[in-house]
Amino acid sequence: MISVRNLSKYYGARQVLSATSHDFPPGQITSVIGPNGAGKSTLLMLMARLLEPSQGQVLLGQDDATLMPINQYAQNVATLRQSPGLNMRLTVAELVAFGRFPYSRGSLTQDDHRMIDEALNFLSLAPLRHAYLDEISGGQRQLAFLAMTIAQQTSVLLLDEPLNNLDMKHAVHIMQSLRRLCDEQGRTVILVIHDVNFAANYSDHILALKAGEVQFSGSTHDTIDESLLRDLYELDFEIMNNKRGCVCDYFTPRLGASQ
Amino acid sequence: MLYSDKLDSNRHNSNRHYTQKLSCLLLLIVALSLILLLAGSGLDVDYIIPKRFARLTAIIIGSLCVALSSIIFQTLVNNRILTPAIMGYEAVYLMWQALLLLTLGTHGLAMLGTGGNFFISLALMLVYSWLLQRWLLGQARPDLYRLLLIGLVLTMVISTFTQFVQLRIDPGEFAVLQGLSYASFTRANTDTLLYSIIAVTLVCVIGYKYWPELDALTLGQAQATSLGVNTTQLMRLYLALIAILVSVSTSLIGPTAFLGIFVANITYALSASRKHRLTLPMGCAIAMTLFLVAQLLVEHVFNYRTTVTILINLVCGAYFLMLIVRTRGTL
Amino acid sequence: MFATNYHLQRKKRMNTRTQGEPATKTTDNRLAVAAINRRMAYLLIGLCGVSLMLGAHTIAWADLSIGSGEAWLMLTASRLPRLVAILLTGIGLAVSGVILQQMVQNRFVEPGTSGGLDAAKLGILIALTQIPTAGKIGQMLLALAFCLATSLVYIAIIRRIQFKNTTLVPVIGLMYGGLLSACAEFYAYQYNIMQSMQGWLLGDFSKVVQGQYEVIYLILPIVAVTYLYAHRFTVMGMGEETAKSLGLGYTTTAAMGLMLVAITVSVTVISVGAIYFVGLVIPNLVALHYGDNLRHTLPTVALGGALLLLACDIVGRLLVYPFEVPIGLTAGAIGGAIFLALILRGDQR
Repeated sequence: MISVRNLSKYYGARQVLSATSHDFPPGQITSVIGPNGAGKSTLLMLMARLLEPSQGQVLLGQDDATLMPINQYAQNVATLRQSPGLNMRLTVAELVAFGRFPYSRGSLTQDDHRMIDEALNFLSLAPLRHAYLDEISGGQRQLAFLAMTIAQQTSVLLLDEPLNNLDMKHAVHIMQSLRRLCDEQGRTVILVIHDVNFAANYSDHILALKAGEVQFSGSTHDTIDESLLRDLYELDFEIMNNKRGCVCDYFTPRLGASQ
Repeated sequence: MLYSDKLDSNRHNSNRHYTQKLSCLLLLIVALSLILLLAGSGLDVDYIIPKRFARLTAIIIGSLCVALSSIIFQTLVNNRILTPAIMGYEAVYLMWQALLLLTLGTHGLAMLGTGGNFFISLALMLVYSWLLQRWLLGQARPDLYRLLLIGLVLTMVISTFTQFVQLRIDPGEFAVLQGLSYASFTRANTDTLLYSIIAVTLVCVIGYKYWPELDALTLGQAQATSLGVNTTQLMRLYLALIAILVSVSTSLIGPTAFLGIFVANITYALSASRKHRLTLPMGCAIAMTLFLVAQLLVEHVFNYRTTVTILINLVCGAYFLMLIVRTRGTL
Repeated sequence: MFATNYHLQRKKRMNTRTQGEPATKTTDNRLAVAAINRRMAYLLIGLCGVSLMLGAHTIAWADLSIGSGEAWLMLTASRLPRLVAILLTGIGLAVSGVILQQMVQNRFVEPGTSGGLDAAKLGILIALTQIPTAGKIGQMLLALAFCLATSLVYIAIIRRIQFKNTTLVPVIGLMYGGLLSACAEFYAYQYNIMQSMQGWLLGDFSKVVQGQYEVIYLILPIVAVTYLYAHRFTVMGMGEETAKSLGLGYTTTAAMGLMLVAITVSVTVISVGAIYFVGLVIPNLVALHYGDNLRHTLPTVALGGALLLLACDIVGRLLVYPFEVPIGLTAGAIGGAIFLALILRGDQR
C-alpha cells in the first residue's frame, strides 16, 4: 500500500502542498481531483520521487520511499507524466520495452518479451507495434506510453492527467483499461484528472485537493456529492444518477446558486 | 495487419541499411587513411610516414571525442542543437591554456610537462562541467534557445578574454596570437597522443557500462527517473566524461565549433534511431570521415591555402543555420 | 509566446507614459530622463578630459598654453580625432541598435547579432583585394552594399520563422554573422591577409589619426535623421499591422531604418573596426528604466553609447599601459558580460 504522511512542498515562501496525509487503498483506482493550482500534480510528482518533499514522507508499505534505491522503487511504482517529450524516433514496441528497464537494463530476456507482448495486447496495440511514435495519433501515442508503464509490472501506477488532449473514444479506452488493470490484475492506480465525470464513473476512491490541502476524501459513492463538489470547484453542481452511472452537471450553473 | 507487415519489413530494412551504411563508411575511412598516409610520401618509412601516422592517430582520436561528446551531451540535455563546443567548453579550455602560459611562462609550462598540464586542465574542465550543470542545466524547464544564446555569447566573451590574456603574454605581437585557436592535426606530440589514448579508452569503458541508461534518458529526465534511472548521478558521470573528451579533442585538434552539431544530426538521420548502441559508432565513423576529407582537401586541393577550421566553420555553420531556419524554431 | 510577452511588456511600458495615470507619471518620467541625461553628460565631459590626457606621451597643459607646436599637434592630430571617433561610434552603434530592435521587434538584436558587422567586414575585404584602387570611399560603399543586402536577407529569414522566441532571433543572427565571418576568413586565407584582417577589424581606435577618420562624421546627419523619425520607429516597433493601421508607411520607414543602420555600420567598421554588443546593451538598459518611447529616450541612448565606448576605451588604455588593448576586446568583454546578465535576468521575471 502506498501512502503519504504529512507531506509538504514549498517553493521559497510559496506553499504548494501543505501537510497532506492520505492512505491510498490498494487494488483500487483513486482519482485526485480539484481546481487548478490545488497541488494535485505536485502530490503525484512527490509520490513518483520526481520532486523532493520539503517535509513529510511517502510510504511504500512500511518503508520510507525516499530511502529506497531508485531502481527498486521503479519496480514498485510506475509513473506516466502528462505530454511526455517526443524528440526521438522510436517504435511502439521499443517504447514499451523501456518498461522492462528496471529489471533488465535494456538487454531483454524471454520473460521481458512476454511482458511486453502482454502489455501491447492488453491495450490492443499489437498491430501498431512496429509503427513509429511520430507516425501514430496522439491517442495511440498516449496508449503506447501507458503500455510502457503497464509493462513495468508495478503494483502502483501514477498517472498525471492521462486524458489530456485525447478524443472521447481514446479517453474511454484508457479509463476502461485502467479499470481492468485494477479488477483483473489487482494493481493500485492513482491518477490526477480534471474531468470530474470520468472520476465519478471509473474510480473507487476520490481525493480532493484545494489550495494545497485535502478538502475531502473517501469512496466515490460518498464523495460525489453536490454540496462537496460545489465547495471544491465553487460551481453549482447537479448530479444525475442513471442506470449506467452518474453525470455531474456543472455546465449551466443556476443563477445565484454559487457566488 | 497489412500496415504492420509493411512497417515490419521497413524496420528490418532499416537495420540492414544501418549495417551497410556503417560498413561503407568504415571502408571509406580506411581508404582515406591510406591516402593520407601514403599519397606522395615516396614510401619514406623513417620520417614522413611515422609523422603522418601521428597525424592520423590525432584525427581518429579527435573525431571519436567530438562525436561521443556531442551525441551524449545532446542526450543529456535532450535536444539536437546544443553541443559542448557551443556551451563554451572549448573556449574555457583555450582560455585556461592561455592563462597557464601567462602565469607559468613557456619555461614553467615545460616544467609542468604534458601530463601535468593534461591533468590540471582536466580538473578545470570538470569544475566547468559542474558549474554548467548547477547553473544552467539544473533548471526545471530550460528554454533551449536561451541556453543556445547564452552559450554563443559566453563563447564570444571567453574568447575575448583569451585574446586579452594572449595580449598580456606578448603585447607587441598581438596579431600573431591565433596559433592556439585553430584546429590543426599537426600539433599533437607523442606524449599527448599517449595520454589521449589512455583517457579515451577509460571513458569508453566507463561509458559503455551505462549506455542502456542513456537510451532511457532519451525519453526525458522524468520518464527515465520513473524507470529507475538515477538521472542526477548519470548526468554528473557523463558530464565528467564529456569534460575529459572535450579536453582531449581540444588539445589534439583545437576548437571544432559547430562540427559536433553537424556530426550528431547526420548520425541521427543515417542511423534512423536514437539508440546509443547504433548512434555512437555511426557518429564516430562520420566524424572521422569528415575530418579525413577536410584534411585531404586542405593538403591536396587547396594546397594549404585554407585550414580545416575554416572549412568546418563554413560547411557546418551553413548547415546549422539551415537546420534552425528550416525547422522554423520548432526544435 | 515570447514575442507576445515582449509585446505586452513593451505596451505596458509605453502605457505608463503615453496614457496611463496620465500627466504626473509622464512628467515624472520625462524629469527622470532629463536628470539622468544631465548626469550622463557631466560624466561624459569628465571622461573626455581623461581621454585627452591619456596616452604614451603626456601632454603638459602648460605647453599648450604657451602654444608649443608639438603638444598642439599631438592634441589635434591624434587625441582629438580619436575622441571624436569614439563618441560618434558609440552614438552611432547605440542608435542603430535601437532602430534594428524596433524593426525586428526583438530586444536582443543589434548590428553584431544580425550579421551586419560581419557583412561590412566581408565587403571591405573584397574591396581591398579586388579593387585596391577604390580608396576609403569605395571600400565604404562596398561595405554599405554588403551590409544592406545581408540585412535584407536576415529580415527575410526572421520573417519566415513562425515561433519568434526572443532568444531564437539573435541566435540566428549570430550564426548568420559567423557564417559570413567564415566566408571572410576563407577568402582572407586565400589572399594571405588573415593576420592583418584580424588585426584591423578588431575595433581599434589607436589607428585613428587626422586624415584617416573623417568619414565618421557621416554619423552626425544619421543621428539627426533618426531623431526626426524617432516617433515613426517607435510605431514601427509595435508591429507591421499596428503600424499600418496607425497610417505609417511601414515599408518606407523600414527601408529607411535599414539604410541608416547600414551606413552607420559600414562607416564605423571602416574607420575603427567591428565593435560588438554596444548597440545591444545600451538600448536595453535604457528601455529597462525609461521605456521604449524613442522620442524621449533617444538622447539617453546616444549619450549612453558614447559613454560606454569611452569608458571601454579608457579601461583598454590603462590595463596594459603604455600599450593598449584594442577596444574591440574591452567592449566585447564588458558588453558581452552585460548581455549575458540581461539574458539571465530575462527568466527571473
